[in-house]
Amino acid sequence: MRRPKLRHIGAALPRKEDLRFLTGHGRYVEDIEIPGALHACFVRSPYPHAKIKSIKTDESRKLEGVVAVYTGKDLAQWTTPLRMAPPIEGLHPVEMTTLPIDKVRFHGDPVACVIATSRYLAEDAAERVEVDYEPLPAVANLEQALLENAVKVDASLPSNLVSIQRFKTGDPEARKREAFKVIESAFHQGRMTHLPIETRGLAAVWDEGRQHLTVHIGNQVPHPYRSQVAARMRLSESQVTIASPDVGGGFGQKIALYREELTVCAASRQLKRPVRWREDRMENLMAASHAREDSVRTRAAVTKEGRLLGLELEILEDFGAYCFYPANYLARVVAMILTGPYKLRDYAFEVKVALTNKCGNGPMRAPMAITSWVIEGTMDAIARELGLDPLEVRRLNMVETRELPYTMPTGEVIADITPRETLEAAVKAIDYAGFRKRQAAARKEGRHLGLGLCSVVESTTYGSKFYKAAGIPGSGHEAAWLRIEPSGAVNASVGLGATGQGYETAFAQVVADGLGVEPSQVRMQMGNTDVAPYGMGSRGARGGTAGGTAIFLAAREANEKVLAIAAQMLGFDSAEGLHLVDGRVEREILGERVKTDLTLAQVARTAYLDPTALPKGMAPGLDFSKTYDPPPMTYSNAAHACEVELDAETGALKILRYVVAEDCGTVLNPFVVEGQQHGAIAMGLSGALLEHMRYDEHGNNITGSLADYLVATSTDLPGFEVIPMHTPSRGNPVGIKGMAEGGVMGAIGVIACAVNDALSPFGVVADRQPLSPDYLRSLLRQT
Amino acid sequence: MKPAPFRYHRPRSLADAIALLSQYSDSKLIAGGQSLGPMMNMRLVQPAELIDLNAVAGLDFITEKDDFLEIGALARHHQVANSPVIKKHCPLLAEAAATIGHYAIRSRGTLGGSLAHADPAAQLPLVAATLGAQIVVHGKRGERRIAAKDFFVSMMSTALAPDEIVVSVRFPKAAAGDRHAYLQFSRRTGDFAIVAVACTLQNRKLKIGVGGAEGKPLVLEFLNEKPETIARKAREAVDPAENPRVPALYRKELVEVLVKRAVAKCLNSN
Amino acid sequence: MLEFELTVNGERYPVRAEPRKLLCDVLREDCRLTGTHVGCEHGVCGACTVLVDGKPSRACLIYAVQMQGHELTTIEAVAKEGKLSPLQQALHEVHGLQCGFCTAGIVMTFEAYLKENPRPSEAEVREVLSGNLCRCTGYHNIVKAIIRVANEGRDAKA
Repeated sequence: MRRPKLRHIGAALPRKEDLRFLTGHGRYVEDIEIPGALHACFVRSPYPHAKIKSIKTDESRKLEGVVAVYTGKDLAQWTTPLRMAPPIEGLHPVEMTTLPIDKVRFHGDPVACVIATSRYLAEDAAERVEVDYEPLPAVANLEQALLENAVKVDASLPSNLVSIQRFKTGDPEARKREAFKVIESAFHQGRMTHLPIETRGLAAVWDEGRQHLTVHIGNQVPHPYRSQVAARMRLSESQVTIASPDVGGGFGQKIALYREELTVCAASRQLKRPVRWREDRMENLMAASHAREDSVRTRAAVTKEGRLLGLELEILEDFGAYCFYPANYLARVVAMILTGPYKLRDYAFEVKVALTNKCGNGPMRAPMAITSWVIEGTMDAIARELGLDPLEVRRLNMVETRELPYTMPTGEVIADITPRETLEAAVKAIDYAGFRKRQAAARKEGRHLGLGLCSVVESTTYGSKFYKAAGIPGSGHEAAWLRIEPSGAVNASVGLGATGQGYETAFAQVVADGLGVEPSQVRMQMGNTDVAPYGMGSRGARGGTAGGTAIFLAAREANEKVLAIAAQMLGFDSAEGLHLVDGRVEREILGERVKTDLTLAQVARTAYLDPTALPKGMAPGLDFSKTYDPPPMTYSNAAHACEVELDAETGALKILRYVVAEDCGTVLNPFVVEGQQHGAIAMGLSGALLEHMRYDEHGNNITGSLADYLVATSTDLPGFEVIPMHTPSRGNPVGIKGMAEGGVMGAIGVIACAVNDALSPFGVVADRQPLSPDYLRSLLRQT
Repeated sequence: MKPAPFRYHRPRSLADAIALLSQYSDSKLIAGGQSLGPMMNMRLVQPAELIDLNAVAGLDFITEKDDFLEIGALARHHQVANSPVIKKHCPLLAEAAATIGHYAIRSRGTLGGSLAHADPAAQLPLVAATLGAQIVVHGKRGERRIAAKDFFVSMMSTALAPDEIVVSVRFPKAAAGDRHAYLQFSRRTGDFAIVAVACTLQNRKLKIGVGGAEGKPLVLEFLNEKPETIARKAREAVDPAENPRVPALYRKELVEVLVKRAVAKCLNSN
Repeated sequence: MLEFELTVNGERYPVRAEPRKLLCDVLREDCRLTGTHVGCEHGVCGACTVLVDGKPSRACLIYAVQMQGHELTTIEAVAKEGKLSPLQQALHEVHGLQCGFCTAGIVMTFEAYLKENPRPSEAEVREVLSGNLCRCTGYHNIVKAIIRVANEGRDAKA
């Protein structure tokens, strides 16, 4: 395939999306007017674990405006349960009814749904639903979950340990025996939640005449979601349309088919009326989807010089009460890619995932976020215990450029990445050598500065071969179509779900270069399953790589046909030497480009309305479909460096500087990429410093509002100095590597490393997040 | 999170407001709504009657008298923080008010509302207690003036009778040579303080007000003592309740650190 | 049910609503101005910020009925006849928004603030911005946009 010159890909084009958002004309689900729509409100369990003895709805149904009240038994008639049973070794199958019938499993578990003419009235009625609970002892944390005779969260499982997976390659035991030292480290990440500023919600519209359900919902994966809705409601996929409009953030929370959503869909069908639901913030905190809460331990066998000989890893994750995803899904990736850019042959891991009576976990932007903290924190621990420079330990162990492609001990292959280059760039930018001097001088004044380094190797895009090898059902391909209309207007689509990533602009740039038009001529049509092709949606950081490439390939095919028709129209034998540039056909004559009078619009007109003038045997129209399956795994890399000041008297932290050197391959739109980096770093820092979804020792959620669940504001975050060092990937036709989650990985690692550098004179190590002031004081108090 | 139903009243005079309060036992006053609003949206509070004070004219004044400033109960935090009169004559009050919440909160939140709400970590109750302000209230039986130390009874609880409304607050004017400092420790800008310290120096007498450590502000006085001693005594004087989010020991530590820093700042200020 | 009138963006809207109906809900449903977004309903996230008599206020903490006799301004009134304000234009030029859900609240906050303080320092900008939560941008470009508007104001006057 002839690769065009890239003029629009890589341009910092301000976004097409902006106008409507800036002027208040965005169209989020809640903005869509649906006459006659009813409103849903959920009754939720105040107990972390309880049997449902009975539910009385008579009093609630008497209230003005109340149309119906449904419970788990009703939903069981209209929908099928969710069965999560992928053929993965060590993973127990689990089943979940649409709404709980026998018992509730967490504080906030929905048990009944009130449908009324307004949300206000529905909330009034919800207060009058009488649920008779028999409280059960709750499993409030991992410790309780794994006790010998622990209360079972899921009665169908032999214990609360829903998944255990082990792996070993080489002989880590032998390496420990040979080692100069075996260094143990621990890393504990708190429970968090995604907190998009737009909560969950949907509007389900059942058309009784057509026997068709249209669901307006902000969702990252419209087609897989549609498949789920159809299956669970015993409908055919052609009876369901998912229409995802503007979405106020997803971050992984808007992927699964949640029980509230399925209930609303079923209610609409039952009532033959549109039903809508908007989750309020308290519900979102308590009952949408939680994330992280994992404890990790490493045992590193090292030489006297700090070279890593062998590594053992243990992960224990608190998955909550319900599995909307295979329980091993999140923690396993950490174990698979842990060693990142570091060389290692002898490696073993054990990943355990347990259920507790908390809201269930889901993938939150960088589900593997803890990875870089763990490996970089291990490097720092090696340096600390051996009295070495942490930078030198990293340099000693990091794979050299000439050693790429490199196969990680787990079989993952890293290629086309530049971890050494990004590390050195970050080190230089943060003035590592100069910092040590300043740090020493500051210590004399009683001020505590710290510097952290964190290299990231981010797994961005999974190809189908990866899923097959891992035994996970599903595909990694993406689908696109491109259509040039008779007037020359260009429409294109891809099976992704936009939630603010600038697809409308970045992909218009891809089409522009692939086809030969200006981005302003291109309109992306996405989010509606009747319009877009079946794709795997937006998750991880696959949008650019998988989606961008699929669109590019479609655009190239379109370019070929357009030029073949152009050649015919211009009276040439072949399209050799013809190019389409900004919608006009150009000819190459003796190395010079000459514009012809022929435009794309004219070619299109011929294609649709004068097909007998087309080349012999060519079909009319300009409609192209393409799919693209990326390599099993694509990686991008970055190095983060930051400088902090610790107030030892209060435990408060201030971030003085934050630098990131990144290589994400070909960048579609530098604005978008930089914005994604900022946002990912912000989410990482927010989680590392502030966010903590807390349950008390009885399993009650005590983080009920945004006054308790703290997210970073503009005064908590520094400015970000981003150093772009992009080198193209050879793994896909456009050279994209993808990015958008690595920033989270780097941020949580770098801040922990910086804090521990500041703490080093005190001889204590911070091993848990959030790095709250009272936690840091508790460490300092001991000294 | 929608509030439960209520009947809405919009009195145009103080007398009407008091009459409504007296008539309806299950009622709540709303001024700025920045504290009551969230509680009602979460249905933690479900009054049958809501009495809106915003239409009562003449309650947002800032008046300078010989010895004191009198500020109306409906004066918004933004007004208080930016008033040239308050900055000049009661700078501690202006400085503390500027740290309340965020810009949009300060546009609506009121002095009277903040004092009546009596959050232990709030700025204005702390400043009122530290400065020995007088809270002027009106009720069925007429006007009362309550000294700040008697006004704040315990956490979120004041000496207001069910029929009484805060009408204004009298703050003593600072004299030439007086110094002050205000410091607070919170997780993020605009959050409620975990610990707050207001400090004044007048003729070598140092007054320290500590907020957030107990149910109501604690005011201590010192004469000719070293900052470290003052800080230690303040730490010993507070008895914070144990709390899953903020351990009592940590809060005590913060009191000592903040008092030490506030005293240093106060001694060095103009 | 009460019947009252609201003045929003210079236009009069007759409203029939319960006293408990929040201003953000009345604006969105009764006035059909959906540019103001609801993010938390407890005054923390700032997405619902509108101007009440020119002053930024959380529409989720006001009952619509309280706003009789006041001038309300929402995001829909900021751009004049399709022309973006300097702040809107700056946000567009430096990529100061991603999903857009928090954007209206930020624009309203700063359209008011920049009138009060036309040339804030970065620290002042971050301090005022701290009352608006954004989960997408990390605030970096939003701050950049506001500083750009502040500097342009300075350059224009110079």
